[in-house]
Amino acid sequence: MSMPSPVTAYDGSTGDAPVRTRPGILRAPFTVRTWTDTIHLVLNLPVGIVGFTYAVVFIALGIGLTPLFLIGLPLIALTLLGSRAFGRMERARASALLDEHVRAPAPLQRRPGWTGWIRSGLTDRTGWRACLYLFLQLPWGVFTFVVTTVSWAASLSAITYPLTQPLYRRADMPGAMISGDGPNEPGVDHYLAGPGLVSLTVAAGVVLLFATPWLVRGMANVDRVMVRGLLGPAFLSEQVRDLTVSRGAAVDTAASDLRRIERDLHDGAQARLVALAMDLGMAKENLNASQDTETARMVSSAHDEVKLALQELRDLARGIHPAVLTDRGLDAALSSIAARCTVPVRVEVDLPERPPAPIESVAYFCASELLTNVSKHARATHAWVTVGHENGRMYLIVADDGAGGAATGKGSGLAGLTERVRGVDGTLNVDSPEGGPTRITVWLPL
Amino acid sequence: MRVVIAEDSVLLRDGLSRLLTARGHEIVGAVGDAEQLVAVATELRPDVCVVDVRMPPTHTDEGIRAAVTMRATLPEVGVLVLSQYVEEQYATELLAGNTSGVGYLLKDRVADVGEFVAAVERVAGGGTALDPEVVSQLLGRSRKRDVVEKLTPREREVLGLMAEGRTNAAVAQALVVSDGAVEKHVSNIFGKLGLAPSDTDHRRVLAVLAYLGS
Repeated sequence: MSMPSPVTAYDGSTGDAPVRTRPGILRAPFTVRTWTDTIHLVLNLPVGIVGFTYAVVFIALGIGLTPLFLIGLPLIALTLLGSRAFGRMERARASALLDEHVRAPAPLQRRPGWTGWIRSGLTDRTGWRACLYLFLQLPWGVFTFVVTTVSWAASLSAITYPLTQPLYRRADMPGAMISGDGPNEPGVDHYLAGPGLVSLTVAAGVVLLFATPWLVRGMANVDRVMVRGLLGPAFLSEQVRDLTVSRGAAVDTAASDLRRIERDLHDGAQARLVALAMDLGMAKENLNASQDTETARMVSSAHDEVKLALQELRDLARGIHPAVLTDRGLDAALSSIAARCTVPVRVEVDLPERPPAPIESVAYFCASELLTNVSKHARATHAWVTVGHENGRMYLIVADDGAGGAATGKGSGLAGLTERVRGVDGTLNVDSPEGGPTRITVWLPL
Repeated sequence: MRVVIAEDSVLLRDGLSRLLTARGHEIVGAVGDAEQLVAVATELRPDVCVVDVRMPPTHTDEGIRAAVTMRATLPEVGVLVLSQYVEEQYATELLAGNTSGVGYLLKDRVADVGEFVAAVERVAGGGTALDPEVVSQLLGRSRKRDVVEKLTPREREVLGLMAEGRTNAAVAQALVVSDGAVEKHVSNIFGKLGLAPSDTDHRRVLAVLAYLGS
């Protein structure tokens, strides 16, 4: 058996940081750690009773009400949310008493709307884990409470037995009874009496006194594992899932923002410019009639400017999110960008049904950018846009017979396009040797 | 000429009213959505309706749908659709079936007031006014590629100008060629597409476009 060693020892030769060692077995019963662990294990019982009752009552009520009224589902969702709150308190208790500091899990990702709220509540794994913790806490709490209190009480009463033994004489007994029916009944009784047995009792009490801290530590470690595993942050796989969900929400929001901006442009700036162009057009015709050449020239150039501005604004709004994409889908929307390309473009679209709006939007944006590149850089005579599907994914191929040499690295628009495609879990592959031809393939999830 | 205007932007509605009134036309109705448009047109039977594509409640394609409905139920009422963007798909829907008194122009074209008013008058008279962009999109997306690819650039140009509703003489003037040259191009186009020539300008152009869009 090792000699007692200090809780903290210094490495004498160097001035290194203090090295923590285990408290010596003889000091163990008197360390703060042992006593905070003990308090924690005793508190497990009341906490377990409250938590278990809460979880069982409301989950059972929720399940019971679900077939009758759908109110059961929001009730379960609320219960899980409450379990998260219990988890927060339990993390605080573990932090204060067990010195176990567990990071809080990610907050609940709420989907929009009432049903979305209930769905996200019901599929909240953090909530379910906290709920499981509450279930386990009652049987575990009963066990830790009993073992802890009995161990400490037994060791203390055994050590102090020589002091308490005389009290038994008042009841006409030589000591604590081990077996038999008592002094008032016939038969042989056995008592803890005599110097041998008393010494043995004290010795057993001392052994138990020094063994209990280890028992307490062992049980407290189980608590630490439960708090870490059930109340801590999600496992990596869950974190990835949560991130995917939140990124999907961000992409959705971005797509609807773009639609809104396009609408605002259409209803606001474009309408005003059209009205202005019309007025200038009327002014121009009137001036031509009155032969005021200088003014007529100024109005005429203003008229040309505003028409140009209209065209630029239209191209801009179109690049953001064309209305026809929302109304009629990708096939129809590709017509006009193909028509605007400086080289003849063949468009072929074969999709069983319309892709989700954000995917459609990304596909359109890719086609638009890639065809702009063809117009600007490719020196091509023909281009092809092919959209199809395979194994639950869609592909968009933009090819041309131009000079080639396109690369994602050159700080080109292709790098930004790749980012945009990756934002929805897609891939963009460039095949463009110097001298051509160029073939860019975009895969997107459906 | 009796005109109904359907346009949800008050600014543009007033502007169009002023413009057409100044040119001596009568605005018999000015409405802000497609439902009212169909009701007013059915009741008043104007010569032509000038219709914005995007109108309440969804601001998407209400104008096109109303125009398609009116072309089926009120064939004598001309419909000129104005749009911020020209879409081949919408053009195909508009041109299907009845092929007279129809127009589809970019909204920008109202800036050239003379040409715009002429387009409105043409549609009111049963003619056509298609934006050049419509034609290039129809050619670009036609399912009959082998046929389209036979057309020379000049022939495509002629087709586009005719789709705007120009007469042979006007096309000849725009391209600075003789009337005879235009007629030759036109008969070549019909020959390559395998369509029977007909005598009315707008009808034959629409026949070509409907064929390409089908």
